[in-house]
Amino acid sequence: MITLNRKFKKDVNERPNGTTVESVKRISVRDKLLVKEVQEMNENLPTTCSVHFEDPDVLSEFILTVCPDEGYWTGGKFKFSVFVTEDYNMEPPKVKCLTRLWHPNINVDGDICLSLLRQTAIDEHGWAPTRRLKDVVWGLNSLFTDLLNFEDPLNIEAAEMYKKNKTEFQTKVQEYIAVTKGKR
Amino acid sequence: MSGDDCDALDRGDSDGQKSDKMFTLKKWNAVAMWSWDVECDTCAICRVQVMDACLRCQGESKKDSYGKQDCVVVWGECNHSFHFCCMSLWVKQNNRCPLCQQEWSIQRMGK
Ligand SMILES: [Zn+2]
Ligand SMILES: [Zn+2]
Ligand SMILES: [Zn+2]
Repeated sequence: MITLNRKFKKDVNERPNGTTVESVKRISVRDKLLVKEVQEMNENLPTTCSVHFEDPDVLSEFILTVCPDEGYWTGGKFKFSVFVTEDYNMEPPKVKCLTRLWHPNINVDGDICLSLLRQTAIDEHGWAPTRRLKDVVWGLNSLFTDLLNFEDPLNIEAAEMYKKNKTEFQTKVQEYIAVTKGKR
Repeated sequence: MSGDDCDALDRGDSDGQKSDKMFTLKKWNAVAMWSWDVECDTCAICRVQVMDACLRCQGESKKDSYGKQDCVVVWGECNHSFHFCCMSLWVKQNNRCPLCQQEWSIQRMGK
């Protein structure tokens, strides 16, 4: 019933001149999804995260800042650039880490190994169009805690250091944090 | 309630005759309520109700509302439903149901 009512209303709105549809600027599916998802992301932002839009009118590009409050990276401030491509949500957003850090799943070039952001994963951890921006934020935030993975590293040196000597690893992590703080 | 029942009652009243019984149960109609399962009702890919045109088709809507009938619903063997438009785009990337990860195969299509 509700569905029918809504359809009827829509028809009435479009009827007067018949050109309504064409005169409306075409908005991409991505942008329509983003309107909902950005709001949802902001409402569910973890306390360790903040989001900044360079251009408030462009919802497809933003900077996510993660300030972990537990674990090895406590005290650090890590920036990620998130770019939502035109093919969203068939494709995951493209994410780069802008802050240099010592982390087994993020290399010095800022490439990130997070299954959620992988297009071709064959298990339930990979990208799926049922995922939303808030899940991406949650995933990146968890790279410093729950999703931290030393078994399948991108920065192999970091993972091996951790296995050999956790104190050395911790020191190196904090050294990187000190360097990025000195730059500011 | 059928028209016959009403006539019988009206006649009884106007004639002022009192029947033995106040009411006679002539017919019993069972009424059932049903509703769409809310979870299946919304396409998990574009987040629009499956009975409505998908987000893609809404943007590219044809001259009139009849064009929207092209946007059909597809049910997988896993019983999950999506817009056919949405699902056909996704299976090109990954031939699995995005909700349950099962291999995707179409059970039926329609409205
Ligand atoms: Zn859909
Ligand atoms: Zn459609
Ligand atoms: Zn399924």
